[in-house]
Amino acid sequence: MFKKILVANRGEIARRILHTCREMGIGTVAVYSDADRKAVHVLDADEAVHLGAADPSESYLHIDRIIAAAKETGAQAVHPGYGFLAENGDFAERCEREGLVFIGPPARVIRALGDKTVARETMIRNGVPVIPGMNRPESDPDTLAQEADLLGYPVLIKAAAGGGGKGMRIVQARDALHEACVSAASEASAAFGNGAIYLEKYLARPRHIEFQILADGLGNMVHLLERECSIQRRHQKIIEETPSPALTPELRERMGQAAVAAARASGYVNAGTVEFLLDPDGRFYFLEVNTRLQVEHPITEMVTGIDVVRRQIEIAAGLPLNLTQQEIRGRGHAIECRIYAEDPEQGFFPSPGTIVFMQEPSGPGIRNDCGIYAGFQVPVEYDPILSKLVAHGEDRDAAIARMLRALERYVILGIRTAIPFLMDVLRSDAFRAGETFTDFVAAHFSDWKPARTETDLARLAYIADDLGGRRETKATGLPAGEHPSPWQRLGNWQR
Amino acid sequence: MQYRFKTDEDAAVWTVDPEGTDRLTVTTGTQTLHVRHGAVSPHHLHLAVDGLGVNTFVLRGDGEKTVVIRGVPYPVQDADFAERKTKKKADRENLPQVITPPMPSVVVRIPVSEGDRVCKGQAVIVLTAMKMETTLTSPFPGRVTKVNVAAGEKVMPGRILVDIEKEAETDAPDEGR
Repeated sequence: MFKKILVANRGEIARRILHTCREMGIGTVAVYSDADRKAVHVLDADEAVHLGAADPSESYLHIDRIIAAAKETGAQAVHPGYGFLAENGDFAERCEREGLVFIGPPARVIRALGDKTVARETMIRNGVPVIPGMNRPESDPDTLAQEADLLGYPVLIKAAAGGGGKGMRIVQARDALHEACVSAASEASAAFGNGAIYLEKYLARPRHIEFQILADGLGNMVHLLERECSIQRRHQKIIEETPSPALTPELRERMGQAAVAAARASGYVNAGTVEFLLDPDGRFYFLEVNTRLQVEHPITEMVTGIDVVRRQIEIAAGLPLNLTQQEIRGRGHAIECRIYAEDPEQGFFPSPGTIVFMQEPSGPGIRNDCGIYAGFQVPVEYDPILSKLVAHGEDRDAAIARMLRALERYVILGIRTAIPFLMDVLRSDAFRAGETFTDFVAAHFSDWKPARTETDLARLAYIADDLGGRRETKATGLPAGEHPSPWQRLGNWQR
Repeated sequence: MQYRFKTDEDAAVWTVDPEGTDRLTVTTGTQTLHVRHGAVSPHHLHLAVDGLGVNTFVLRGDGEKTVVIRGVPYPVQDADFAERKTKKKADRENLPQVITPPMPSVVVRIPVSEGDRVCKGQAVIVLTAMKMETTLTSPFPGRVTKVNVAAGEKVMPGRILVDIEKEAETDAPDEGR
């Protein structure tokens, strides 16, 4: 087993990986940028190496500096987390060349699956159903327009290097295609350093269902059941759950087999996720393989009891998987809510700033993978995820009730979060009925505002806060600014 | 003592009678409430209203406090203060509207050039912040007189990114002016 691992990431996911390393008795190295000198992953690691300026290209994307940090500290392996360099074939190859173990699939697998059009071709060859669409990227506007006509509108523009909804656009009619392609290519280029795009038929009201895969280098492969991630805003997941309310045991078995077949077709090693869209008629289509630890992996850990990060490290160290498909059993139901620094009343616009006060939820069945603390300044340079709140219960209703209680107790002052929005989604009839499709937020929650039913209580708190903090100010009628401080009133006692 | 809280229409006038350091009686116009209160920490207040306990979390701002109760934030404003603030805001709105980023951002693209005519709502600059693209649009029809930034530049709120000279919407170009 490794003696020391460098975690090439930041925030909640870096911290989550550090936890498992510590449990396994493995030493840890964090890396950080100027903006993250006091970030949780720096505080939690055994050692921390400064990479450079806040801009990702100068820090978390700077391959030379990360490799140098690993060498300097004697780390034997690198865990990339998600985002940043996690699905960068060049980085994985560079680690391999420098004698460092990259905790993830081999570079050739990352590259083959990272190009979504190549992945589509591989799946078609191996009999995995794919969404109708193009099998190679295209930049010529006329060719794109012809392909779109062939597929029939609406079409979906996707980035060949895509993920996380970046560079994705739905186009309803031909006259909007060109501008959408330019904008998608620009966003893809900024996010992935690759502006290649292609078109797929846009499926109306699908569910997003994905399967967690574990594969060792010895040919053993299992899936750890599904996750449903249909509740999204801006094509980015915000609520995930397992099991999916839409899957029958029979459908789960068929999709699980397709997921394993997809992973086998690509020669997969380590942890990965095979994503599908499921249409209302129970037909499913391959979407893509994410060659990394997923943001939403905790819900799988809650129901299977398997530590996905521990398995990743063991597989990378060459240990066999020692798990059969029959041994994988889901117990109960788990839900994850992603807590982002964003304002749900302003179209989910990012809301960076300083956390003034925080109260983390706890209690039976609650897990909070958290990357912030009171006093922490949320940087503008990175993805605005603050934490992932996970609730586990005996069944779906119990998990929903636990999540609602935990969200009610979760207080973050100083920046806006979607906590009140998430609570209303969980309380809604559509969510409770399991009617979760990727258009859920647009269909039920466009122009959402919280129902503010406790204004009187809020005013009482306002008054009580005045009385507690500045009681004499009100009593003497002095404006707050002119209220003497205790030191002024104490006069000579001050010295 | 009296409190005037800002409401959608007017102001709600509450009469407050403090009793000792941890009790108060409040008359809201429709009801009388008996409240026990205690600060758990500088931002955490526990209230018991007619015997029923609730945790509240208070963030103090400029004439406004945000109170979080059961996960929902409530902005609570002192009406006297709010009136002064609204006046200031109205003054500000009379100034010519400008193209400035809502938060620290990086310029991605500038789809207009100096000299271009733009209509109201036309995209003039594309920014990215926290990995999300945002498009700023022209607040009125006009002519771009100056582009003050370049793609790739980091910009802060308040910085004017593009100068646009206002033109009347229906005006045809007039040589005489």
